[in-house]
Amino acid sequence: MTARPGAIRVEGVTLSFPRRDGGRLPVLDGVDLAIDGGGIVALIGPNGSGKSSLLRVIAGLVAPDRGTVTVDGDEITTPDPRIGLVFQEARLLPWRSAAENITYPLELAGWPTMRRAERLDALTELVGLDPSVRANRPTELSGGQRQRVALARALALQPGVLLLDEPFSALDALSRERFDLELLGLWERAGSTIVLVTHNIAEAILVADRVVVLSRRPGRVVADLTVDLARPRSIADLDAAVVSRTARDVRRHLGEEAAA
Amino acid sequence: MRRSAALSILVALAAFIAIWQLVVVVSGFPPFILPAPGAVLVRWATAWSAGTLTPHLLATLQEVALGFVVGAGAALLVGYALARSALIERLLSPYLVAAQATPILALAPLIALWFGPGLAGKVLICALIVFFPVAVATMVGIRSVDAGLLELGRSLRATRRQVLTTLEVPAALPSILGGMRVGVTLAVVGAIVGEWAGAERGLGVLINLARGSLFDIPLMFATLLTIALVGIVLYLVVVLVERRLVGAR
Repeated sequence: MTARPGAIRVEGVTLSFPRRDGGRLPVLDGVDLAIDGGGIVALIGPNGSGKSSLLRVIAGLVAPDRGTVTVDGDEITTPDPRIGLVFQEARLLPWRSAAENITYPLELAGWPTMRRAERLDALTELVGLDPSVRANRPTELSGGQRQRVALARALALQPGVLLLDEPFSALDALSRERFDLELLGLWERAGSTIVLVTHNIAEAILVADRVVVLSRRPGRVVADLTVDLARPRSIADLDAAVVSRTARDVRRHLGEEAAA
Repeated sequence: MRRSAALSILVALAAFIAIWQLVVVVSGFPPFILPAPGAVLVRWATAWSAGTLTPHLLATLQEVALGFVVGAGAALLVGYALARSALIERLLSPYLVAAQATPILALAPLIALWFGPGLAGKVLICALIVFFPVAVATMVGIRSVDAGLLELGRSLRATRRQVLTTLEVPAALPSILGGMRVGVTLAVVGAIVGEWAGAERGLGVLINLARGSLFDIPLMFATLLTIALVGIVLYLVVVLVERRLVGAR
């Protein structure tokens, strides 16, 4: 059986940022992570554990001090069309319509207008965006619609890897649960490898195959837990996720980190 | 809303004219000191119909248009460089501030001496006066571009040119156009100052003629009225462009 595309290998990634006093702030410390193509992994950890920074290293936006990241065996040193990124805030261009925001990566990549329009239709359907709001500016969209646009934009170039940095954190609890399930449906249809950064244990377990727990700063992997929930998953699995063995283990590791 | 805005402008205009008329009546100033608004309006109409104003207005408009294009164009380039290069900012800032601090009235005779009474000197004076507000607005606008949007551009592998045209310029546009609103009205001031320093034609020349050899004070006021209208119209043109390009974000 051939391996699915989108396999990520993070090996010995260490990262620090310059401080005002001339020193360095250690952010990540020798992180190793292997994700098979088509898998979903949730990254969870205390504030400042470097989850978002790790995502930026994988995206090729930040160069690590040491270590490497590969996707399908190719080292990632700059942003790569095989990787799509959804930020915590939707980061839509306020002077463009929802449709123009979705097709922005295609425009940058030089796609002709006709092809962009066809892809727009497919993306709108894929993320469940109401077609009637495609001409609206971001200020005329709800929080959920804005995140759908951001998700569609990240999927525009059909990336093999989708990196999600707490994408639903600004949504209310009910919307967030709905989006978690829609993300699973989207994963089944698009087949991308997904790395989800979250603070929410139940969300991590409901969505992911594995939950990777990072330590306090500088972040290192303190646990890599397999989720014991069968697929396909539904909203009914959320209660099971909250009381699952994986959830207990995640809480224990996070508790140990908080106490450390 | 639009109707009430138009009404408030009309009310303000009527109040201004009424106060002017009141000052004329109460003070008893002779018409060669302060003509009544009605006399100015009549003189304005006769100056138009006799073709007195048109050549001067066209000359001033040409200077303003060319000066604005040259000044704002240079300001966009320099403002961008100032925003993106600390070295260029360190090198150029003292000169820019010094140029801004020097009154254009003091520079105008020197420029007229160097460039003569032709169009070039007027365009340069207009360009100099337009330059600073547009350059500063461009610098501030480009520096204020959301770092998150720039990171988005990088994540999508936007080229330097694409970042400029699809992110930086659209994001900085409200600020740049704000600078242009100020710049376009200053361009009118620059043209008049340039014409005073030496010219054959222009609204500034007409003011001098009306005040001096013609001693036609209503014509002087009519010319002032024309200058004010030019400033207002140009300002509104920039506002319209701003509405069209920036719209409701």
